[in-house]
Amino acid sequence: MGNNKYYTPDGFNDTLPGICSFKKDAESKLRRLFSLHGYSEIETPGIEYCDIYMKPSFLKEEELYKMVDQKGRLICARYDGTIPTARFAATLYKDEPLPLRLCYIENMYRFNQSGGGKQSEFTQAGVELMGASGSDSDAEVIALAISAALETGVEDLQISIGQTKLFEGLARQFGLDGESTDKLKSAIASKDSVMIEKTASEAGLSTDDARTLQMLTEFSGSDEMLDEFEKRVTDEQAIEALKNIREILAALDEYGYLKYVTVDLGLFGNEDYYTGVIFKGYTYEVGFPIISGGRYDNTVGVFGREMSCVGFSLSLSLAITALGRQGKIPDEKGPDAIIGYDINIPGARAAALALAMKLRGEGSTVILDSSHLSEQELDEYAGMRAIAATFYINEAKEDEE
Amino acid sequence: MLTIALSKGRLAEQAIELLEKAGYDCTAAKEKSRKLILEDPNTGLRFILAKPADVPTYVEYGAADLGVVGKDTLLEEGRQLYEVLDLGFGRCKMCVAGPKELKDGKLDKIPNKRVGTKYPNITRAYFEGVKKESVEIIKLNGSVELAPLIGLSEVIVDIVESGRTLFENGLDVIETVADISARVVVNRVSMNMKSDEIRPMIEKLREQVAIMNDKKEES
Repeated sequence: MGNNKYYTPDGFNDTLPGICSFKKDAESKLRRLFSLHGYSEIETPGIEYCDIYMKPSFLKEEELYKMVDQKGRLICARYDGTIPTARFAATLYKDEPLPLRLCYIENMYRFNQSGGGKQSEFTQAGVELMGASGSDSDAEVIALAISAALETGVEDLQISIGQTKLFEGLARQFGLDGESTDKLKSAIASKDSVMIEKTASEAGLSTDDARTLQMLTEFSGSDEMLDEFEKRVTDEQAIEALKNIREILAALDEYGYLKYVTVDLGLFGNEDYYTGVIFKGYTYEVGFPIISGGRYDNTVGVFGREMSCVGFSLSLSLAITALGRQGKIPDEKGPDAIIGYDINIPGARAAALALAMKLRGEGSTVILDSSHLSEQELDEYAGMRAIAATFYINEAKEDEE
Repeated sequence: MLTIALSKGRLAEQAIELLEKAGYDCTAAKEKSRKLILEDPNTGLRFILAKPADVPTYVEYGAADLGVVGKDTLLEEGRQLYEVLDLGFGRCKMCVAGPKELKDGKLDKIPNKRVGTKYPNITRAYFEGVKKESVEIIKLNGSVELAPLIGLSEVIVDIVESGRTLFENGLDVIETVADISARVVVNRVSMNMKSDEIRPMIEKLREQVAIMNDKKEES
């Protein structure tokens, strides 16, 4: 014990002043953005019972930071924003009229393999639109995700949209058994065309059906490709899924956000969780998505109140890492002024204090030097800390240089 | 600008050869030097030469947009990547190997067996996931064949190309765990953000691989 006192644990970092103030500004902007759209911010506990994440399997158990409470029950640090919000909506808000619009800005804790901008502790800002189904609700949330990224300063943004039900429908259309479904799903998710071809032929699919599956990996989302793909689909649920995507695109066009969006039909996500649209947001300079979201109609029901929901989370930490590497975070700005005074002169302190109050009132950042630096020391200090102006008070009234 | 991570050694040479056939100027990559980053501003390609086991890491974190690496490394590292293409070279098998006497099902009769390997994750996934049994894994860093000979383990899990090292030491392949070859992997963000550059490259490589495979079938 004692050898680690100089260090932070793996995956945890201190945040330096420049980044910290940029981050807090971004949080304020997001808070205002969400509020302007009618989303109410809530805080959920930093620690929850592990049970809320366990049924059904929302995540890998080993990713939770686990502890035990006084009675030996398993508790964990907040892993995400959606599940606690779902618990909240189904219990404390069980009688509230739907739809609910809730949002959060919180730190999350995950045992990740950290690195490359990925941390075990990171800040997420997210919204949940609860008790609302249909493509327009999907589009509302996706548009808000785009606005949120832009608000944070991320301009090079790309949102990929997929649909969980599409592959389920195709699997039924092609009469795939459970094993080939799983294999094909993971092959498509990793865009592994060789594996798709191999598994499709093992499952006895026609060349044309195999081609349909291959198309899932090639998708970049032009209208013609969507038309071409639609001709190959007969399963009702899969058709419904494609319709959902078209409607979302049409709505996002009216938001003026279509330029940020591409369709990736090979994007599925964890189907224990997502039940419809799923989307990811990317930018340059970080290798992981900064936005993740989708429709989850079966999650809140686990906590006792069925409702259709759609939401997203923006990793503020990853977004800031990306912005830093893109050179878009301004350098830390020093205070505007420092005021010193000669303690041996009666009334000098009062005069310095009055000046400080006046300047702060005008919105300047002002340090009142309480360590009794001499006039020369004050100038030197101001130079080192990049403080724009210095004042030294050595008489009873205000003395502005 | 695309950053391509290559596995130092034979795999890198073959990957460069294929890229050239696909019409990419790789003069920079062929430069004989000790430089680790080989860049050509005219072609917009930047190559990094990394230890094979590190290639998936560079690509997952987005430090490289794409990489060429053996399937063995991908299985062992288990990274979140798009695995878009089987290049068909660097072929070999990941095998359970041991004394000939263990063939024909006798391996399964040994309880709590010890397995020496450079690939602890692949070994665990195979014995626990496929064979449904617990084994004691002994991580080794080379000359793995020694382990069963000297009594450190009953069997090994390792890459087998010709099998000569095994045979010369009285060992044999007992079971095949996976077929291995070189793969192209792509970072999930790059695939979206730089698709204008990456997708055509994959298509051109795919064509070259098809031509290569046809030639093999003919001969």
